[in-house]
Amino acid sequence: MKAKLIAFVIVIVLLVVYVATGVYQVDPSQVALVKTFGKYTHTVGPGIHIHAPFPFQSHVIVDVQTVRKQEIGFRTVRPGQYVQKKEEALILTGDGNIVSVEAVVQFKVNDPVKFVFRVENPEELVKFTTESALREMIARRTVDEILTAERDRVSYEVHQITQQLLDAYDVGITVINVLLQEVVPPQTVIAAFDDVNNAKQDKERYINEALRYANNLIPSVEGEVRKIILEAEAYAQQRILQAQGETQRFLSILKEYKGSPRITETRLRIETLEEVLPKAKRIILLDGSQNITLLSLDKLIGGGGK
Amino acid sequence: MKMMILVFVLILSAVAVLFIGLSFFIVDQTQYAVVLRFGEIRKVISEPGLYVKTPFVDNVIRFSKRFYIYDIPVEKIITLDKKTMLVDSYAIWRISDPKKFIESVRTVSLALSRIDDVVYSGLRNTLAKLDFDDIVTGERQYLSDITEFSKRNLADFGVDIQDVRIKHTDLPAENQQAVFERMKSERQSIAALIRAEGQKEAQKIRSEADKKATILKAEALSEAERIKGTGEASATRIYAQAYGQDQEFYRFLRTLESYKFIIPDSVILIGEDLTILNQMK
Repeated sequence: MKAKLIAFVIVIVLLVVYVATGVYQVDPSQVALVKTFGKYTHTVGPGIHIHAPFPFQSHVIVDVQTVRKQEIGFRTVRPGQYVQKKEEALILTGDGNIVSVEAVVQFKVNDPVKFVFRVENPEELVKFTTESALREMIARRTVDEILTAERDRVSYEVHQITQQLLDAYDVGITVINVLLQEVVPPQTVIAAFDDVNNAKQDKERYINEALRYANNLIPSVEGEVRKIILEAEAYAQQRILQAQGETQRFLSILKEYKGSPRITETRLRIETLEEVLPKAKRIILLDGSQNITLLSLDKLIGGGGK
Repeated sequence: MKMMILVFVLILSAVAVLFIGLSFFIVDQTQYAVVLRFGEIRKVISEPGLYVKTPFVDNVIRFSKRFYIYDIPVEKIITLDKKTMLVDSYAIWRISDPKKFIESVRTVSLALSRIDDVVYSGLRNTLAKLDFDDIVTGERQYLSDITEFSKRNLADFGVDIQDVRIKHTDLPAENQQAVFERMKSERQSIAALIRAEGQKEAQKIRSEADKKATILKAEALSEAERIKGTGEASATRIYAQAYGQDQEFYRFLRTLESYKFIIPDSVILIGEDLTILNQMK
């Protein structure tokens, strides 16, 4: 009797455990696809659910909210630390150059049924599709376009093309964004590219230096010009004043001279000779016999000269 | 006795469960199933659900219905213009006909090697007719050609090629190095050009400033001469007006004035008669 009871309890427990295998939990960002005998029957949302146990029903849980991502040209080793995947990152450009491109594609599941049942490895599919679209768009442009103005267009076009292809495969994926991360020249030529930027700086510098020279030169020349003009004006004025002064003196003397011309003439002569003769080096007096007598002016005029 | 019956019933039911278990099989949403009896195909199932088979005799093989992505190994291709290119492609494919598939290739890994062969020859044939630049930059029409070609040639294997695409077109390492060198020299010449332009413009600015300065100075000098000229003219007029009043007296006065400059430090000869001084004019 006791053995019977124990057997009964064991059977009940086993049955409960068996039924409990059909209990499952779906998180808020997820949905569960329920299969009955392997065939998809319906989808259930977040919460705790139960379905018939194995082998009758089973379920697949898919995260439909979380934004997934794939990295191209690099891998995140741990948050904040990356390694470059050179063979993925280096891409040929339309003008036969090579650029290094790192990109991230963000995507989301829009149809969990297709996402789960139509493709073996949807993540890889997204990555490859994005990579090939990226390659194609880069190849249509020159290296300069990619490094500068066309960056945004590239990421936009890659987004479009990737979405189109994924739609054609019908795998229930929406591409949210294609973000170009680092788009740079390859490591070995980066210095040469930087030098072009330096050259642009140098060019600015040369021009600024020249402008500074010009800006200094013109005002200083203008100063000089002003000086030349002023000097000329001063000279002209001086000449006029000098003329006026000299003529004034002449006219004064003339006035006196007109009053008594003879005596004034004689006085002027004598005064002048008095003034200048002492400064002569030698004065040679000739007598009637034509002998040359040397004498100093002191004797001759009796003035105070040497 | 009762115990014996219980054990017997238990064993019987266990056998029954096992037998039932072996008689049914489930085909998943993502699968095809092929029922083989001693290697002979009895049934091909492409709809998911619960199916019956004969236990111990029938063998069920399952294949995925889903798309596979096959990353084809990098291939070296010689283009029409005799350049070497490394092409990294991938194919998206699925098993479309499990019967043909099991008859011809049987396993996925064998199928991959078939796909490899076909896609590679498709790539090589198509790309060999194109120039390097057209492959890199051109519209990807040739990809649909390759896809079509692969589709046609793999249909017999029960394989459907959805798409063949190129992930990467690369240069062999030595050519890549050459490209880097060229990029470098290209940038260097651009940099040199920019610097030269800068110097040219700077020189232009300087020369223009110099020119302006020279002109300004010349204008000033010419203006200065004019001003001096008017000054001198005025002076001359003043002199002429004043001295014109008595030319004789001017000459006399001016002569006396000039002695002040002539006589100092010179040797003077004077006759005996000192009145000769009166004659010095």
